Amino acid sequence: MKLIYKYTLWYLLISLGVFVVGSIITYQVMKREISREQERFLRERLTFVERMVDRRQPDSVLVRDKIRVEPLPQATAETEISYSDTVVMHSTLERMEPHTKLEVVREVAGKFYHISLYDVIVEQDDIIESVRESMIKVYLLLTGTVLLLGVFAGLYLFKPFNKTLNLIRNFDLDRGQPIRQIKTGTQEFDRLNQFLEEMTTKVQTDYNALKEFSENASHEMQTPLANAIGKLELLLNNPKLEAKESQKVMGALDSLRQISKMGQSLGLLTKIENREFANKAPLDFSTSVTRALDNFQELIDLKSITLERSITPHVEVIMDPNLADIMINNLLSNAIRHNERNGIIRTKVDESGFIICNTGKPPSAAPDSLFDRFKKDSNGRDGMGLGLSIVKKICDVSGFKIDYWYELNEHRLEIEFVR
Amino acid sequence: MKILVVEDHEELAQNVHAYLEQEGYVCEVAENYHSALNKLGGFEYDAVILDLMLPDGNGLDILKWLKSNQSDMGVLILSAKNALNDKVEGLELGADDYLSKPFHFTELNARLKAIYRRRKLKGHDIIQCSNISINSETMEVKVGENLLELTRKEFELLLYFIINKNRVLTKQSIAEHLWGDYIDSLDSFDFVYQHIKNLRKKLMQAGSDDPIQTMYGSGYKFMVSE
Repeated sequence: MKLIYKYTLWYLLISLGVFVVGSIITYQVMKREISREQERFLRERLTFVERMVDRRQPDSVLVRDKIRVEPLPQATAETEISYSDTVVMHSTLERMEPHTKLEVVREVAGKFYHISLYDVIVEQDDIIESVRESMIKVYLLLTGTVLLLGVFAGLYLFKPFNKTLNLIRNFDLDRGQPIRQIKTGTQEFDRLNQFLEEMTTKVQTDYNALKEFSENASHEMQTPLANAIGKLELLLNNPKLEAKESQKVMGALDSLRQISKMGQSLGLLTKIENREFANKAPLDFSTSVTRALDNFQELIDLKSITLERSITPHVEVIMDPNLADIMINNLLSNAIRHNERNGIIRTKVDESGFIICNTGKPPSAAPDSLFDRFKKDSNGRDGMGLGLSIVKKICDVSGFKIDYWYELNEHRLEIEFVR
Repeated sequence: MKILVVEDHEELAQNVHAYLEQEGYVCEVAENYHSALNKLGGFEYDAVILDLMLPDGNGLDILKWLKSNQSDMGVLILSAKNALNDKVEGLELGADDYLSKPFHFTELNARLKAIYRRRKLKGHDIIQCSNISINSETMEVKVGENLLELTRKEFELLLYFIINKNRVLTKQSIAEHLWGDYIDSLDSFDFVYQHIKNLRKKLMQAGSDDPIQTMYGSGYKFMVSE
């Protein structure tokens, strides 16, 4: 639910409560004022009645419209005016209506009379009726206004906010531009934008530093390695070198090469994690797999492996072409490396995904952990255990799902193209 | 063949220098961007080996400068950044080849020779090595007068051996030369062994002595008596 709708709804709910309480207060104030007016009116009538009694000096009970005068047989004391409510038949409405009644004992021309008067100016249900009606009308007016305000706020007040949201959505680290602060004139939005500018500038700097670091790390590491490897290779050409010694040199070369490969693999992983391969475009996956299989054909033949291809032509996926090649090459070289002589490799590409199966010894590690870094299968001689983590990472950034299991003497890797 | 090595790592530059001199190249070293531009402006070279990360500039700018001066110099990029963009950009700018660090000297030699053949000889050359002659364009190999039927990989292997004759070639470097990046993590040595076995057999059937010497523990050497 949009914030502005939430806000409007809350506002209307709370004002409904306020209106209910307000109605009660209004009703009571009106009622109090009306009964005061009523009492004042009755007191005026009392003066009029006293004058009438003075004129007529009745001996029996005198009943007129809404007036009753009863002469008292013996002398008594005058009383204070007292008011009470009574229900009397309304003359014009012809139904019982609550009236205000005034009672008093007065001495007029030496005689005592009990005088009672009653009347009604405004009926009680008329008050309730009018309070209810005016409150409902005002409430409807308020609702209309608030809704209108909501639409207006959504359109104009939240415009800078929506603009900021768009900027965040389109923010791309690779473009190297932090979000520039925009002045909105609204304190909250200005603070948000300022915070965003600071944050994206920081993220951008960190990202650039990391990118530079991984490139420098690679350079600073590979150059001395190239130097060491070169020196050892020159040493190998020394005719005085004994076989035993050259074996040691070879051992050193092997280790150096492993370090170099590991550095390259880690560098690649970092780059994938940094999303430096963001060149996503439609790609003919079938062609990529076919090309890779052709490249590997000789190595497959040399190990006497049977290759089964089931490739639906022109299966299109959206991913970075470099990542696609790295992924396919890693999977294929894995399938060859962890295979056995006269083994089988089965490949399948269709609209739903890419499956590669190969015969081989069961994995020594738990299937789930094979995608972790440095979790290497003991059957493989070399490899840094990074190949599958790279494949996993590529699937992650390309939005694919990857699954591995081992059954019936076969390793089975399945990549599902989630579209 | 005259080569300029642009490399800021002093030791590595000296190594390459020493190796290339041994191989009969005339070689000079420039250790930074500015001295490289000075040397390229003042002297003629057949090829330049270019490191991309220099303390005072980017190797790609040197490449751009060379191309804008219509230089016919061969360019081999040598970089540790291993950044795919650099490779693509370098080749698009007109570099002949790209080699990432670390590399085998024998591979560097083979690449330089290939650049030389392509640029200076336009591919028309016969490489003669004792009684073996190789036409690198038609892929024709003769031992004496006998034509040799080789597969593509066997041909590449023989060429690699002959270019690096009398040098130890490690199995690793042979595997990387033949299969490039694909060999990465495969147990390549069996494959190398099989190819060498086949090549040996074919050479001997054509009447050559066995020129490929197995260096116990380290690799192979193509022996040619000078």
